[in-house]
Amino acid sequence: MGRSYIVEEAVEGYLTKQCEQVGPVTGLLIGQSSTQREFVVTATRTPQREKKSAAAAGNSLDKEWVTEHARQVSRMLPGGLSVLGVFIVADTEAKDTVTTLRQLVFAVENLISSERLWNPADDDVTDSVALHVNPKTRKTFCRTFDVKDSKSVAKPADWKYQSGVCSSWITVSCCLSVDLLVPLPDNRTDTEDMDTCLKEGLKVWAHQLEGGVCLIDGKKLADDTELSGGQKRNVRQTYTAQLLITPEERRSTDVVQRCGGSVSVRGAIHSRAYLHSNKPKAKLAEKLLKRDAVSTVATRAQILLEELLTSQKDKHQREQFCLPRRVFCPVKGSGPVCVCDYRFSDEGLSEVTDRLKEMLDMDVAEKDLDTRQETPAEVLEADAAAEPTVETIEALEPKRNNYIGVAMATAVTLLATAVSMLYLNDV
Amino acid sequence: MVVADSHSSDTGTILRVRGPLEFKCHLDSTDARLMHKVISRTFEMLQSQVKSESCVLIVCDSPVIVWPNRGVCATPEEITPNTLCEDIHQWIQLDKQEAAGKRSAKKKSKKSSAASIINLRLLMEATKTGPLSAPILSRTVQKSHFLSTTLPVDCVVRTTVNETIKDAFERLLEALTHQLCEMEKVTLQHMKGTTLLVPEPLHFLLPEPKGLVTVVYPAGVPDSQLETQRKELHQQLQLPDDWPYFRRANAYHFPNEPYKDGYLRNPHLVLTHPTLDNGKVYLVQGIYSYHHYMQDHMDDNGWGCAYRSLQTICSWFQQQGYVERAVPTHKEIQQALADVGDKPGSFVGSRQWIGSIEVQAVLNQLLGVTSKIMFVSQGSELASKGRELTNHFLTEGTPIMIGGGVLAHTILGVAWSETSGQIRYLILDPHYTGAEDSQVIADKGWCGWKGADFWDQTAYYNLCLPQRSKII
Repeated sequence: MGRSYIVEEAVEGYLTKQCEQVGPVTGLLIGQSSTQREFVVTATRTPQREKKSAAAAGNSLDKEWVTEHARQVSRMLPGGLSVLGVFIVADTEAKDTVTTLRQLVFAVENLISSERLWNPADDDVTDSVALHVNPKTRKTFCRTFDVKDSKSVAKPADWKYQSGVCSSWITVSCCLSVDLLVPLPDNRTDTEDMDTCLKEGLKVWAHQLEGGVCLIDGKKLADDTELSGGQKRNVRQTYTAQLLITPEERRSTDVVQRCGGSVSVRGAIHSRAYLHSNKPKAKLAEKLLKRDAVSTVATRAQILLEELLTSQKDKHQREQFCLPRRVFCPVKGSGPVCVCDYRFSDEGLSEVTDRLKEMLDMDVAEKDLDTRQETPAEVLEADAAAEPTVETIEALEPKRNNYIGVAMATAVTLLATAVSMLYLNDV
Repeated sequence: MVVADSHSSDTGTILRVRGPLEFKCHLDSTDARLMHKVISRTFEMLQSQVKSESCVLIVCDSPVIVWPNRGVCATPEEITPNTLCEDIHQWIQLDKQEAAGKRSAKKKSKKSSAASIINLRLLMEATKTGPLSAPILSRTVQKSHFLSTTLPVDCVVRTTVNETIKDAFERLLEALTHQLCEMEKVTLQHMKGTTLLVPEPLHFLLPEPKGLVTVVYPAGVPDSQLETQRKELHQQLQLPDDWPYFRRANAYHFPNEPYKDGYLRNPHLVLTHPTLDNGKVYLVQGIYSYHHYMQDHMDDNGWGCAYRSLQTICSWFQQQGYVERAVPTHKEIQQALADVGDKPGSFVGSRQWIGSIEVQAVLNQLLGVTSKIMFVSQGSELASKGRELTNHFLTEGTPIMIGGGVLAHTILGVAWSETSGQIRYLILDPHYTGAEDSQVIADKGWCGWKGADFWDQTAYYNLCLPQRSKII
């Protein structure tokens, strides 16, 4: 038995629209996996690339561009949503496309999973979907690959459109305070080192969260408790979660270590997860919410560090940077389900809508954006005053390339080597 | 340095909270004064965390969660600040017992009577009521030291009958903040350069009415280097200065924590003492473990009884903190006897008996413990040794090994009437070959009170009475 995909009707319209384009169109399928079936909420085509690189010239697909797009998109997905796979609209024989799709699916999965800081669970679905649409016949061919098995072959899967797939989905959210402090190694305090150290620190935090106790609407629920009432349509189902954590006990002998400095992340984040309404279990809600908490902090740190890498200036002894705020945007016709973006405080809402257009092909009005979940970061002078030796305190927004396409191109160049390595392994 | 638990009494539930607290700071300087300042500030931060609304206490193996600083609010909702502490027990599921399957009802009821301890975990709620401001990333570049560890917080309070959760948790929180103060003191006191020792709390059960007392020691510092601290404690709590109370080996073993080595402790505690007219009971003091035939995968049935009795004595010296040496094996005992010239080299590995004199020699050789030998030419004479034996248990309190012409046994106490001269002996029998089941051992008399007729009236006996050194 192959996997079964329940697809939001709007996706059918979107794919049909892509059939009218000239030449092959690639894109991503976004939704939620569950052990029984998959829910496809939305689809988005790979953005146009201004100049094609030499490798991408001609008929062959620009795989780097597709995978980088997937990486950027996965950062914009709250808990419960993920890149389920890729689609291609191409006037070729379905069986000829399989190899291309297979490479794409593996490359996308490899890049996205390399950014994850949480540990996969045993019950995670490891199948990715590859959908081929023939623009002439409008026929769809749906297959899956087990991305954890490098030798896996295509398995046919069921692709079925349905309206209001996520109209009665459940939202679980919380406001979580973050307080990370990690040492920087002696003599290695550059942005790259900061990245490595922060990732390590975040992994420890992720582990703490994973082992933490989760309360839903103030109650400790048994793992298999069903979050009830999910079947009622048009009733907004929202739950508030609480997370109780404890550090892992360490019996270390090296209590004190030499360091070249330290990095801290302090503040609060809004974390959110969406759950399908087919008997959603408390355990799943907890898992998805905890993963979202880790991802949203990691993504913000990543965005900031990427900016710092491209705009590094004089280093001061102590610098403070405001991490971007999370902004939510509802997916049209998909009930409560939202995607998100990160916005620096010097950015306008139009930059958010531009990014949503480019990355997710969404036409969004500024008034649709939900900016109320987090307030702007504030540099606390009191905190700075407590450090007597600090000479320079600077709260700054990094200089940014505001045109996203340029930013993405830069990231692609940085990643190109790594990505082509992945391809070599996959072929 | 010390928290005396003022509410001690035999009744009432003990609340014990444990939980690591993350201790992290960036020491900007190697100047001792500045380092102390940073460390103190980090402790202050932990103090405010514990006092904050985020502080959460979870009752282990139960759905009960309490926010002590949020008006002692709790979940599930049946629990209110006015709920009695002992009522928490009904929420605790003893999973392990259920998993063990068929167990006698007798055992179960015994277990639950011992479970007067409620274990709690200290956690922090990471979620808040939003919206709050997004995070700030700050980078400090400065060569220095980074301090990172977890503090093993461990506090107990003994509740009184009818004490409410509200009152008990308030006291628990006081104990927590007090322990952090103690930890700060110990940390700063034992800091040398950039070397830092993790403070480690330990509980000690003092004779009534003092009860449980918690002391914070620097981890890794041997007992031998902490005598000054112990002296202070003895003075402060007016304890005799010839008996160790605060060595690490004296740390209290909570009834719900099984001993990992598998030996039974003080099996005589389940027995009912004999009543003699005008008589009094004099018992071994402190804790020993019961060593007997066939333990440690060692088939010594028929020859090892004196070795086992000796092991029981050694376990007493170890668990009272007099020696750090582990209980010696048969072979180690034989080797010690060969080393002192008492036996030839061929004795090592043999299955030969030893007697009271050998026990005395081994205690001296391996533990540095001297012993008195009491000789009786006939078992019937033992009935007249009441005064000597009671004196021994009063002043030394160590188990006595008795051997001689016949089998070896351990004497753990006597019941003696000064007026009538009537006497009973509390005997621990090393010839037991069964499992470590205290009920069987007591019911079948492997540990039990015996009359004067227990002794072979015509055989001779040697008693080895180990003498403890007067140390703290």
